[in-house]
Amino acid sequence: MTLELKNNIEKMFKEKKLPSENIEFRKKQIDIFLNKGFPNKKIEEWKYSDLDHIIKQNISNLNFELKLTGDFNYNNSEILNDFEHNKIIYVNGKIKNFDFPFEERENIEINYNQDFKTSKNSINSLINLNNALTFNYSKIRILKNYNFKKPLVIYHFGTKDINSSVINFRSDFVLEENSSLCVINIFKNHSENNFININQQYKIGKNANLKNYRIDSELNSGINYFFTNIDLENNSNSETFIYSAGSKFFRNEINCNLNDKYSSAFISGIINLNESQHHEIKTNINHLSENTKSYQLIKSVLNDSSKGVFQGKIFVDHKAQKTDGYQLSKSLLLDKDAEFDAKPELEIYADDVKCSHGSTSGNLDENSIFYLMSRGLSYKQSKKLLVDGFLNDAIEKITNQDVKKYIKKLMKI
Amino acid sequence: MLEIKNLKASIENKEILKGLNLNIKAGEVHAIMGPNASGKSTLSNILSGKKGYEISGEVRFENNNLLKLGIEERAHKGIFLAFQYPLEIPGVNTNNFLKTSLNAIKKARGEKELDAIEFLKLVKKKSSDLKIEEKILNRHLNVGFSGGEKKKNEILQMSILNPKLSILDETDSGLDIDALRIVSEGVNTLRDSKNSFLIITHYQRLLNYIKPDYVHVLKNGKIIKTGNFELALELENKGYENFL
Repeated sequence: MTLELKNNIEKMFKEKKLPSENIEFRKKQIDIFLNKGFPNKKIEEWKYSDLDHIIKQNISNLNFELKLTGDFNYNNSEILNDFEHNKIIYVNGKIKNFDFPFEERENIEINYNQDFKTSKNSINSLINLNNALTFNYSKIRILKNYNFKKPLVIYHFGTKDINSSVINFRSDFVLEENSSLCVINIFKNHSENNFININQQYKIGKNANLKNYRIDSELNSGINYFFTNIDLENNSNSETFIYSAGSKFFRNEINCNLNDKYSSAFISGIINLNESQHHEIKTNINHLSENTKSYQLIKSVLNDSSKGVFQGKIFVDHKAQKTDGYQLSKSLLLDKDAEFDAKPELEIYADDVKCSHGSTSGNLDENSIFYLMSRGLSYKQSKKLLVDGFLNDAIEKITNQDVKKYIKKLMKI
Repeated sequence: MLEIKNLKASIENKEILKGLNLNIKAGEVHAIMGPNASGKSTLSNILSGKKGYEISGEVRFENNNLLKLGIEERAHKGIFLAFQYPLEIPGVNTNNFLKTSLNAIKKARGEKELDAIEFLKLVKKKSSDLKIEEKILNRHLNVGFSGGEKKKNEILQMSILNPKLSILDETDSGLDIDALRIVSEGVNTLRDSKNSFLIITHYQRLLNYIKPDYVHVLKNGKIIKTGNFELALELENKGYENFL
């Protein structure tokens, strides 16, 4: 990446008339990124997903300066009509619409001020890149004791007008004490070969509750990195479900910090891939206080020469006695070229904890196929029944019934 | 209905069936008895189409060359195997599975498929006949079922699919007297002039409840003796070793 690129980016900062402190911050961030480049397999956490290589292979002349002008539109038929919901709509990386018709607006604060000067969680160069180049920032604060009445769907639309570009998003959510929110990120990407870099930060206050779902179900050529940090306070809870199936490459990375007593984090997910798709789920669950709980269940089905990765880490601080941490990954490899890599990690510094992990991968059971076929089902029907049954475990973890139903519909279960 | 001529089968170069002959006419109940490793389960596997065997000889089922039919085609033609060890299928709802199965068979036969309401009505009746608690039908197929529940579930599937030839592979093993009676009643209600049964068993016990028309003794891959119900009693008294 050249000096010219750096100069162009700095010129862009000035054109956008950002405050000088913010420009300084962004300059530093872009320097760090340019120095490190995209994460590659030499970095332990990226050894199964060499993003630098994946981007080079799929995107030629990656464009960092997103100079898109014009008003891009999404197809209205792609807005869900399965259940009532609030909307945030992004089209080609630009905020298009905020629509909260079901909520009491006095209980929600929305702030678009991009004037951030510091960065937390700079765990890799993609966060630096996001810090430097994000111009679509929003911070949503849900005030004390307010429960969202309907889910909030964040649509990520990509249109054919854009290609070979880096698109950065950042949104922050603060759930004050005793509040609750259900967020569903839905990807509808019709653009070609873009790198989409998302950073979402959640702060969950005392007794507050977050449901956090993300659905990438439609085949597309996008390369995606979605980082989520969830900070949990006393007796708060977060539930995450990931449906990872549509994009060419997707890495979901989720950090949960169980900062205070009785907080809990649940993550379940499905990786369901064909052809040469490559998806990864990376989790870091940090038990930082006593009596905290985490649960993770990832089910993967890999066809053709697709590749699935699950790297799950449970960290237990010396203060975090009575931790209850559990992690399980199961995968079905349905073709000889399919690959699944699992790296479970437990790092425990407390002595009174309950932590376990497990990982299995295998093929469909021939005897089960024979049993189902002997009842008149074709091979295809039997296989679908077994695969759906295998994935169903993870779907059953979804506690929002509308979302559960919608995902079952997507999967034709 | 079923005609088996000189059936030989081997697996991994080991010959298990060594020239088996058997004729079952419509409406007949045949029992095959034999010691362990005589080839009883191999016979039921081959009739229902399990892969992995080298097979020679001839098997005809209602003018079809059975050995050329796929597993599911045999089910469509009316063959049903009640498994000795029914498989546990996690994540698959028993009711949904039964409906998919019944409708797959109906579709293949060109019959009208049942909608959800018609199907539930049928299941309600059949499960109450077999004294199966309806709530287990909402559980995953055979997962966490007791041995008796699994076998009853096999008989329920049989009575819903209404096959022409039912093969019961040691369905009596592991059943207590009450379950045995329920399973037998299930078979006896299906029994009519058109439906046939092949009952594979170690013990004569089941045959007290389902009176067979013929009893065959299988040993070392061949039927060595054929008789009526009396033969089963004789076997029970003498034991296989003395008898053979």
